[in-house]
Amino acid sequence: MIDFLQLTVAGLSQGSVYALLAVGLIATYTVRHVVNIAQGDYATLAGLGSISLVSVGLPLPVAILIALVSVTLASVIIERLVISRVKNLTTLVSIILTLGVSTLLQAIMLLIWGAEGRRLQAFPGDDLNLGGVSIRSQELWMLGALVVVGGGVLLFYEKTRWGKALRASAEQPVAARIVGISPAAASIIAFAIAGFVGAAAGVVSSPIYLSIWSGGLLLGLKGFVAAVLGGLVSFRAAIVGALLLGIIESYVAGYVASGWKDAVAFFILIIVLIIRPAGLVLRPNAVRV
Amino acid sequence: MNRAQRRLLVPAAIAASIALALTGCGASNFGGDSGDDGGAEEGPIKIGAVLDITGVGANLGVPEQNTLNMLADQLNADGGIDGREVELIIKDNQSTEDGAAKATTQLIENDDVDLIIGASRTGPSLAMRPLVEAAQMPTISVAANAAIVDGSEWVFKTAQNDLVVLERILDDAESKGYTKLALVRDATGFGEGIGEIITELGSTRGIELTATESFEPSATDFTAQMTNIRAADADAVIIWGITPSAGLAQAAYVQLGVGKPVYQSHGVANDAFFEAAGPAADGVIAPMGRLLVADQLPADDPQKEVIDQFIADYSEAFGSSPSSFAGHAYDAWKIGVAAIEEAGTEPEALRDAILGTTDFVGISGIFTMTPEDHSGLTAEALIMALAGDGRWNLIE
Repeated sequence: MIDFLQLTVAGLSQGSVYALLAVGLIATYTVRHVVNIAQGDYATLAGLGSISLVSVGLPLPVAILIALVSVTLASVIIERLVISRVKNLTTLVSIILTLGVSTLLQAIMLLIWGAEGRRLQAFPGDDLNLGGVSIRSQELWMLGALVVVGGGVLLFYEKTRWGKALRASAEQPVAARIVGISPAAASIIAFAIAGFVGAAAGVVSSPIYLSIWSGGLLLGLKGFVAAVLGGLVSFRAAIVGALLLGIIESYVAGYVASGWKDAVAFFILIIVLIIRPAGLVLRPNAVRV
Repeated sequence: MNRAQRRLLVPAAIAASIALALTGCGASNFGGDSGDDGGAEEGPIKIGAVLDITGVGANLGVPEQNTLNMLADQLNADGGIDGREVELIIKDNQSTEDGAAKATTQLIENDDVDLIIGASRTGPSLAMRPLVEAAQMPTISVAANAAIVDGSEWVFKTAQNDLVVLERILDDAESKGYTKLALVRDATGFGEGIGEIITELGSTRGIELTATESFEPSATDFTAQMTNIRAADADAVIIWGITPSAGLAQAAYVQLGVGKPVYQSHGVANDAFFEAAGPAADGVIAPMGRLLVADQLPADDPQKEVIDQFIADYSEAFGSSPSSFAGHAYDAWKIGVAAIEEAGTEPEALRDAILGTTDFVGISGIFTMTPEDHSGLTAEALIMALAGDGRWNLIE
């Protein structure tokens, strides 16, 4: 039983990282129908950036803040330089473009930080031990980041006028423009959100999982699988899907074989795409995809 | 596709290909004359290297690359071998088996090298073995698993055999009265067969293996494995892998409160282990070469002079201390160059010269190659080190 709970805790904390990446993917997909392959690279970029900032003597919170802001800006710059230049942007074109961006980001990270993985110092806090189940304080930070950042994005999209306007501009771009919503601004905001949540995922997970230049692709793919569970439009479903994915991976590694862990995500992806291509939660045709 | 998209695709494609070129092979081909075959007597002597410079083996391959570059520069500054310049061609196998095979084929077919050094890890080294055997190319691997050289005609290696490393660990475990061991091992070639060796070596020492878990070298989450190890009945645990994964496994082990003593392999003989494991490294015991504890060696240690000189040279060139893996590359280079100096570049003569290596004082130990033993090191090459205060400490 203790082992079961231990694996569940590990799965939830890993799943919260996937969830943040899924939120970032959905943020750009709902507004621009962009599937951003570079989403996971935002995480490694922020992790490596904050490691360097800490190593030159900045306090951890300041380093993290600078990393979050820089990666958010980088995402906006990518939107301005690449995504916004393309008229009639299709999802396929977005995948090809962002794959190029991802490769370029990885090459830059390899040149700056080298090939070796690095670890950010752990956030403040003490590890817990609840009846034999060990919970690392960093895992609580990861879950907390999901609640605060992921929940914040969710509330922004669902409750605020700006958030609703963003969704409106995705669903009815012409009508949205008529009532005064600028598609360009909507796109910039969506990419800023994607950059921010990706960076948040990177900094909270780096103390446990290390940051390495090549790590973003697999992370982004896991986030993508979670996002697909939400039909690429539902934040709530994607977050639930991401946590489930993390837990299932953890059980598979613990009870079956650790080598199967990374295969789980892709197995789930294939099943979902065959059985429920619109995602697990949505009514068909609820949102034009 | 409209015009705007087409306009964009070209720069995007260029960016992607530049990126690919950057991340791809770190090949450095200086051109130069190529001889008719491996035994060319004119032009530079060519030494090829296949290393894990990017990917999961980067902690091994990068210091090895540094070392080879430094030694090649030193050698050429001293006038090369018999007045002939030595050209070093390093290729990155990206820590993959197919990358190693591809790089080896290129070195043999296109670059026409006289000697190959590599690869950094067991898996890629095993992938190279049939190619270099078929091409009759003298090759010196810097990886650990004895399978790389077992029964081989053309392949040698400089990293200590996993067998002698495990002997040291089991001797220590026996002396402390442990009877049950659990193993968490690397799922690639480096960890392949380790469980069987422990079972075999343990049978004469009254030690049994009660649980085995494995992990990919790219893994970052080890909760599942360590949870199972915690549930297993064992007196001590062996974590067998390379950095950073073995270090992350160590961190997960301590955080999950397993609480048994831990042995690690010589795959963690670098500072990167402490970066990955953090404070969890304290108390780990690992057999390794003398390099990382050089400052604690007695003055009469036969390797001390060689090691001190290497540390001084490396630190001056790269601003950081060398790891044991840098030492493996040093030994491979020195043994290879000494053999070329003695026998030239004709493949069979060169191989026989490497085979004739006797009492060569290197970084990882004192080498004596024999037809049966192409790694040339005994258990004497290893010391036991204890991790503490962010460094390795000599405990014997």
